[in-house]
Amino acid sequence: MKERVPIVYVIDDEALIREGVQSLIKSVGLSAVTFASASEFMHAERPDVPACLVLDVRMPGQSGLDLQRQLASAGIYIPIIFISGHGDIPMSVRAMKEGALEFLTKPVRGQDLLDAIQKAIARDQELRSERAEYAKMRGRFDSLTPRETEVLNLVVAGLLNKQIADQLGTSELTIKTHRAHVMEKTGADSLAHLVRMAERLRTSQRK
Amino acid sequence: MQDKLSKPLELPVFFRYGMAAAFVAAALLLSLVLRVPFANPSWFLFPAAIVASTWFCGRGPGWLAVCVGILAIQYYFIPPFGSFLVRPGDIPYSITFIFCAAAANWLFSWRKQAEDNLREARDELELRVRERTAELKSTNNALLFQMEEQKRTAEALQVTRTELARVVRITTIGELAASIAHEVNQPLAAVVANADACVAWLGLETPNLVEARAAAERSIQGATRASEVITRIRSLINKSSTERVRVQLNRIIEETVALAAGQASRNDVSITLDLVSDLPSVLGDRIQLQQVILNLMMNGIEAMSGVTDRTRELLVRSRLQDACQVMVSIEDTGIGVNAETMARLFEPFFTTRQQGIGMGLPISRSIIEAHGGRLWAESVVNQGTALQFTLPTLEGAAV
Repeated sequence: MKERVPIVYVIDDEALIREGVQSLIKSVGLSAVTFASASEFMHAERPDVPACLVLDVRMPGQSGLDLQRQLASAGIYIPIIFISGHGDIPMSVRAMKEGALEFLTKPVRGQDLLDAIQKAIARDQELRSERAEYAKMRGRFDSLTPRETEVLNLVVAGLLNKQIADQLGTSELTIKTHRAHVMEKTGADSLAHLVRMAERLRTSQRK
Repeated sequence: MQDKLSKPLELPVFFRYGMAAAFVAAALLLSLVLRVPFANPSWFLFPAAIVASTWFCGRGPGWLAVCVGILAIQYYFIPPFGSFLVRPGDIPYSITFIFCAAAANWLFSWRKQAEDNLREARDELELRVRERTAELKSTNNALLFQMEEQKRTAEALQVTRTELARVVRITTIGELAASIAHEVNQPLAAVVANADACVAWLGLETPNLVEARAAAERSIQGATRASEVITRIRSLINKSSTERVRVQLNRIIEETVALAAGQASRNDVSITLDLVSDLPSVLGDRIQLQQVILNLMMNGIEAMSGVTDRTRELLVRSRLQDACQVMVSIEDTGIGVNAETMARLFEPFFTTRQQGIGMGLPISRSIIEAHGGRLWAESVVNQGTALQFTLPTLEGAAV
């Protein structure tokens, strides 16, 4: 898998803080893009690379917590590191509950922020590769013909070739051929593997 | 004594009649005895017995005395003696006696009756007066109780109002402090972030001086911004104190003492004033100066709350310090402050009290300094503290 340089998005209404944080991030070889507001970030184009978000809680207009909820409801997953002017416990609890990775208090120690960023990017990479693997698997299953999908479903349900042939009104030999195609196209190396993959697709579809 | 006389004779009936008979018998006996030395038949004692009977025993016994008296006179003193017969020549004499006896009885019984009525009326009047007096007394007591209650309510109200004012003040200061904290914290966060970046650029194997320099410059900008915020807050404080008029400090002190009197008496503190009569005027904001004096007085009163072994006294003095300065001092007989506390006394948010917010003295000092004066404290542990301030006089300020 080819990895491109991760991006750290920084959203803070205070220009000097943005620039400071951006400079700090660049100094460790990461790339940082800054925004002055939540809406600016939402309208920007985001390249498909591992990323995380350093987000100020208190901003004019949409607050950091509002943006967090908006991203979640839009299905955009990106690890968030919150930065707050004051360590308000209820606020941080809320942010963490909704999936924030870290909640830091201003002024933030540089090393703490960088550690949090590293952790966030690692987490994003992990999730991205999981998602990529899943997408690949999804693609392989989608390449099956309707007939092959039918056979797959019956195989996964635990039926023998003979039973499947009876049910579909065809010969056992034909089923064997379909089944071989299914194994080949999905890249399954055993029946157990095939069942596991099919199960995973089904549960994530139900979600 | 009047009470004793006014009491009617409450004797049994037979006793009263018996007594009337006894009066007449006594009169008869005495008359018979007197007859021996004074040959003339004398009956003057009988009317006396009748009058006594009527007066002391009532009208009925009086009539009995009249009848018995007439019979006795007829029998013993009107010839022929020893018989009830009357000679024609003695009839007028006899009738005169009967008439006199009856008239005496009637007159005295009437008089007695009148007197009794009067007495009764007076008794009743007295009784009513007593009743009304008792009523008035209880009404008066109720009124006194109500007044006491009202006073207590008013005091409670005053306490509540003071407390409310304090809460409002603290809340306002709290909000103000929160917003100042944010305003200052933002540039400070920028300073830290940029300084961190600067250090990081310098720490690379081949330090990136261009980036490090840029970060350092932003750090400086942030620090400048923070100090600008503080300057803005300062000018805000000064702007609010532009109201400068001629004020007489003694007047302000007197007004403030009136404001603090309630709090002082609740804390068993006596306030003594020692003001120089010809104190020159100063230029200032009367409300702010009043706040300072009130604040210092409250501090003094509270400093004495733990004192039990001596009188709690607050001495407020005004003096002419020199030609161009007046001085006001507020001295308490409280617990005093030790050297460690003294050093921090004017630090913002430093307080020794549970409910204090530690802004009273710093604010007072900044007000006095904005007026061109000085505010300081002197203290002896376990003897008391003196908070003093000077202000330039009109002439002093003109210099």
